[in-house]
Amino acid sequence: MTAMDRRAVDDRALAAPAATPTVTPRARARSQARTIVPIALAGVGFLALWQLVVWFGGYPSYILPGPATVAARFVTAWTDGTFGEHVPVTLVEVLLGFAAGAAVGLGAGLLLARSRRVSLALSPYLVAAQSTPILALAPLLALWFGPGLVSKVVICGLIVLFPVAVSTLVGLRTVDPRLLELGRSLRATSRQQLLGIELPAALPSILGGMRIGITLAVVGAIVAEWAGADAGLGWLLNLARGSLFDTPLLFATLVAIALLGVCLYGAMVAVERRLLGDRA
Amino acid sequence: MIRSPRQTRRLAAAVALVAAVGALAACSPGATPAPSVTALTVGLGYIPSVQFAQFYLADQRGYYRDAGLQVTFQNQIDPDLIRLTGQGSVDVSLADGTSLIPAVSQGIPVRYVATIYAKFPNVVFAKASSGIATAADLKGKKIGTPGKYGSSWVMLQALLGSAGLTTDDVTIVEYPDYGQLAGVEQGAVDAATGFSNNEPVQLSRAGTTPVVLTVDSIVPLPGNGLIVGTATLTAKHDALAAFVAASLRAMGDIIADPAAGLDASITAVPELASDREGQAAVLAATIDAWQSDLTATQGLGAIDPAAWTTSIAFMAGLPDGLVPNPVTADQLVTTELLPK
Repeated sequence: MTAMDRRAVDDRALAAPAATPTVTPRARARSQARTIVPIALAGVGFLALWQLVVWFGGYPSYILPGPATVAARFVTAWTDGTFGEHVPVTLVEVLLGFAAGAAVGLGAGLLLARSRRVSLALSPYLVAAQSTPILALAPLLALWFGPGLVSKVVICGLIVLFPVAVSTLVGLRTVDPRLLELGRSLRATSRQQLLGIELPAALPSILGGMRIGITLAVVGAIVAEWAGADAGLGWLLNLARGSLFDTPLLFATLVAIALLGVCLYGAMVAVERRLLGDRA
Repeated sequence: MIRSPRQTRRLAAAVALVAAVGALAACSPGATPAPSVTALTVGLGYIPSVQFAQFYLADQRGYYRDAGLQVTFQNQIDPDLIRLTGQGSVDVSLADGTSLIPAVSQGIPVRYVATIYAKFPNVVFAKASSGIATAADLKGKKIGTPGKYGSSWVMLQALLGSAGLTTDDVTIVEYPDYGQLAGVEQGAVDAATGFSNNEPVQLSRAGTTPVVLTVDSIVPLPGNGLIVGTATLTAKHDALAAFVAASLRAMGDIIADPAAGLDASITAVPELASDREGQAAVLAATIDAWQSDLTATQGLGAIDPAAWTTSIAFMAGLPDGLVPNPVTADQLVTTELLPK
């Protein structure tokens, strides 16, 4: 397939729709408000419900602290450096684990898509591995790989692998056959077919799997730290619960973990929009 | 269903007869009111063990029943037990000073009412062949521990401090799976933290002479004891006092006859029978931990408020922030439930 042919494939397969009319700043602001306001209202509603449960249930703060107590403890944990010490540790584990799991998952999905025999042979084991609770595997992995960064990356990677592999497999298997035929008609090599047609066409599905994977990577990092660590947000959860008896800090750490997951998910969505444009 | 007048009269007669019989039974000279029984939920450690022998024996010998108690045992992770006890979901449970001091400092309303382990059970152990005999010998050594938290970590800092050392003067090797005994046996670490009635016992039984370093003479950290919520202490005062007395009585029975404690444990936890000899060794070490110079003079369960004050000061000085709000010994302990 020549460069001219590649352009023809690109134009046909990935042609942007007709130019859309210019959106005014006012219209954009209204559109954003329509998105943000319901989210904010839901958040306020949740906080109000939480506080009502605390009031009417009469729960002491060491059992269920109220949102104001948790917010204050969250701020303290940032200003006294507690979160500053532990958030980067978990973030590094998540990013490295995600990178490793996504890379292996992409390769596994490709392999499974390419060969039905391999897919038949390996799929049951892939499903079995995913069905085994990572909470049960984590202590074994910490035993084999030690309580350092390696075991965390392995645990995170394992939890990311399955969704990325499956989304890659599905994405590649559902490429429009007309595009493949077009590539064959232009005498594209396998490599050109894969890089020029299949992967770009499968990208929405692959990135969808990665969106799921990045949030699961956060879960993996926390579970890995429970199995053995001396720093990180998962370790901080254990410390707050078992040594410090600081339930507000425990809740504040949960909030930090949730925010980390939301930020990483948002970053993944931004990457997806950048790569896919209007296909996102 | 519509009854005929005849059926209705028969039903009324039957109800009246039953009521009359009941009234007669209640009024007869021989009838006595049912004795009041107080239900107590007792939280033990995470895994049923021979270390809870006194509770099993007291239950099986009827000490609790004779005191008007209906005792139910629950097994849970220690930090959860303290919260549940403070809340009142569990009436009485076990905790040591290194957990209780931070908990009360955070406002959890619990009190320590009786000592079970008169010697602090967390220790540092090593093979005698390692050459380690004192805390000073730990300098530059590799020490295995489950993690940099909890009673073992506090104890280790106290032990190292007694020799002018800190944790920076040793190499900490973490065993989150509690495999530090294997680490010592295989030489991966020179010493490790453990419990006086566990790892050193297993080392001995494997034919290796252990050396054990304790903190009792350094910082008198309070060992595990019975704790109750402050609200429960008021609401069920007499029942709790009876529970304490019955449990201490069973401890005395086991000290006099350890086999009775072992048998009671196996009755409660049949799985323990698979290693009777090993469990007997653990129980022997546990019995030793129940007793000290204080219990010899003041009896089992005795509490030393001065030791608590010293421990509070020590823990408040640690860098881990374990005592964020000041507490005093009288906020932590009470002797009102101990037998006079």
